[in-house]
Amino acid sequence: MKKTISGVALAAACATALTGCAGGGAKAGGAGSTLSIATMTLPQSLDPADANGSALPFFQAVYDTLIKREPDGSYSPMLATEWKYSGDRTELKLTLRDGVKFDDGSPFDAAAVKANMERFGKKAGAQAKTLKDVKSITADDATHVTVKLAQPNPAMLYYLSDAAGLMANPKSFTKPGDPLKTKPDGTGPYELDSAKSAIGTKWVYTRAKNYWGSKLPYEGVTISYFDNETAIVNGVKTGQLNAALLQNADQQAGIESDPKVKTVKQEFDFQGMILFDRGGALVPALKDARVRQALNLAIDRATMLSKIRQGRGTATSQIFGAKSAGYVPELDTAYPHDPAKARDLLKQAGFASGFTLKLPRIQAIVPDALASSLQTDLNAIGVKLTWDDVDAGAVRRIFTDRAYPAMVMNLGQPDADWIGVGDYVLPGVFNMFGTSDDTLKSLLPKIQAAPDGTAKADLQALNRHLVEQAWFVPFYRMSYLHVSDGTVRVTPQSGMAVPALYNYAPAK
Amino acid sequence: MLSFVARRVAAGVVLLFVISLLSYLLLSIPDLDVGRQLLGSNAPQATVDAKNAELGLDRPVFVQYADWLAHAVRGDFGTSWFTGENVVQALSTRLPVTVSLMLGVTGVTAVLSLLLGVWAGVRRGVADRVVQVLGVLGYALPGFLVTLIIVVVFAVKLRWFPAIGYTDIAESVPGWLSTITLPVASLSVAGVAGVSQQVRGAVIDVLRRDYVRTLRARGLPPSRVLFRHVLRNAAAPALTVLGMQFVGLLGGAVLVEQIFGLPGIGSMTVTYTTRGDIPVIMALVSVTVVGVIAVNLLVDVLIGWLDPKARTA
Repeated sequence: MKKTISGVALAAACATALTGCAGGGAKAGGAGSTLSIATMTLPQSLDPADANGSALPFFQAVYDTLIKREPDGSYSPMLATEWKYSGDRTELKLTLRDGVKFDDGSPFDAAAVKANMERFGKKAGAQAKTLKDVKSITADDATHVTVKLAQPNPAMLYYLSDAAGLMANPKSFTKPGDPLKTKPDGTGPYELDSAKSAIGTKWVYTRAKNYWGSKLPYEGVTISYFDNETAIVNGVKTGQLNAALLQNADQQAGIESDPKVKTVKQEFDFQGMILFDRGGALVPALKDARVRQALNLAIDRATMLSKIRQGRGTATSQIFGAKSAGYVPELDTAYPHDPAKARDLLKQAGFASGFTLKLPRIQAIVPDALASSLQTDLNAIGVKLTWDDVDAGAVRRIFTDRAYPAMVMNLGQPDADWIGVGDYVLPGVFNMFGTSDDTLKSLLPKIQAAPDGTAKADLQALNRHLVEQAWFVPFYRMSYLHVSDGTVRVTPQSGMAVPALYNYAPAK
Repeated sequence: MLSFVARRVAAGVVLLFVISLLSYLLLSIPDLDVGRQLLGSNAPQATVDAKNAELGLDRPVFVQYADWLAHAVRGDFGTSWFTGENVVQALSTRLPVTVSLMLGVTGVTAVLSLLLGVWAGVRRGVADRVVQVLGVLGYALPGFLVTLIIVVVFAVKLRWFPAIGYTDIAESVPGWLSTITLPVASLSVAGVAGVSQQVRGAVIDVLRRDYVRTLRARGLPPSRVLFRHVLRNAAAPALTVLGMQFVGLLGGAVLVEQIFGLPGIGSMTVTYTTRGDIPVIMALVSVTVVGVIAVNLLVDVLIGWLDPKARTA
């Protein structure tokens, strides 16, 4: 009996000792403490040349951008204090902040901007294309830079507030072995604590001494990578993680019932079928707009949204997001579910007996429920849909081999319209066959050359044209959920799923 | 004994070479186009080709392997193609996590299985049936379900332990214990269920032997018969199963590391294999094979120590 009591006491003592450690991984995200963020984005490295949108917080901790993008999408000074376009919008003059230094004491100046932007374009990273219109960069003096463009690019300020605007110490560029990949060297608000970080798992940042700007509210930031949302949800519920973004509808539903967890909804990505082969090179039927319209009419978006995403989102037939200038509210319902009309359109186009579509399938994007739902909807109008499973590692081949006529994807809806136009409408990855027509040839140059905020009518005309010609088969805009453990206030970033690092603050 | 160990080590080296070669060949079969993955869809083909050449991927696969082997034998596993991280350094931060997990599970499995198996084998009757039912339950419950129940009850609801993360033992021993307890418990359920049945069966089998009856008839205390003679003879099959469990734990570690957000080599294997990061994957394969060889050798040595006849087998 005595032994039993001793055993129980020992177990209790152990449990107490361990309980004291539970939740010790992250301090509450109050002012002055450490902010612990979860992410499902694994950055390729911490070299700005490898940066991309969803990994931006990793970089914002240690690098500043030339221009700061505010949560509402407006621009404010950061390393550049002023910027001005020439009349024809092919020349952008930047005035730089004076007195900013890198850690080794070398100055941030016009030469550094030139070196960074030229390197970013040459390194051929994921976002190098954003500077493809840059013809030359000239350091006029220490604090003035002129960027000459081959053609107007309405998204240039956006790019300079994004990956292309991240400024690293040029002295790191010539060191052997590309040290920036693991040892970032910028002017940002934090420094990477290499000793406490485990690249690929956890990145620990501590406040940079002598930061030139106003301090962010946290002494330190920890960004942890997870490959599943279950661990993230458990971490937020127990306060080990302060904030995260949840995309999965089931996980969203599971965490919303926790009274301590604070949530903010945001619609960003749309899910849909991107029709690459509008010229009919692979599937001749897709050349006819009536066939593409029929595909749109065949999709039962409301049922799909309800069953697959538990109604978390908005059914739509357009690729422009609700906050973009090109958005037209009535286009969300341009293609109601109407299989009879779809069959009629196929008949008019000469495909009354249907045709076969073979599409690549990435399991993470097209789960079984979505795969079978699409097969059922398209089968109802005589279109036989077959899936070709593709490994995540081989996805890029889809865009280079051009062997598939379309693909179901989750794509962002940036508020800066030209980014969406550039990504989805201009010839490129998502317009891999380079489709165009007279309407596009007339509208695009006008949109491209228009001063900021003046192209709304043309953008909406473009949107109407794309929907009418059924360039895409969008299903719905997906609602994502920013969650926090209650100690942190997260402000969504306009036009991005992942909030900027500057958008976290202690909850009041 | 020394020649026995030497023979096993030599066989292990050959095994390591064969598996590393096969792994390299298998990794080269799928056309993952690493250069394209690194540089993105928009990169010109010439740039992609240059990148692939820079990584040595334009050479015949046997040349690539020979190059890798020449560096690996010197302890140089290179750098990750994707993160630029030194592979040895990357593994050194993750290996302790998985090793902690596997040693913890093996320790817990060994102790609990021994207690339950001996209790059931010696007592029989109700105790035996209880252990058998628990064994079937532990084996039948899916691992992911057990893990999710454990994390929801003990971490999310009761808050006794952290739900995610890992604290290094060098940083804090109580912290390490708190972060490793639930993952170890999750992985131990099936192990205890399997090994305890093995111990039970072996104990019952040995207890029926003539020499045990003789020992009892000579008036030896039951505890001495059990610990000195029965367990020693029943240990060999249990150790073999325990060794196999240890090796099989790597598969279970992937799931548990994902659910608990542990930065171990299980989750690392999944992430880097889908990318085709050959330097990292090959280092992971090497470490895993060495671990498996070492555990098997240890089990063989232990069995040989317990039963001298086994050394000549």
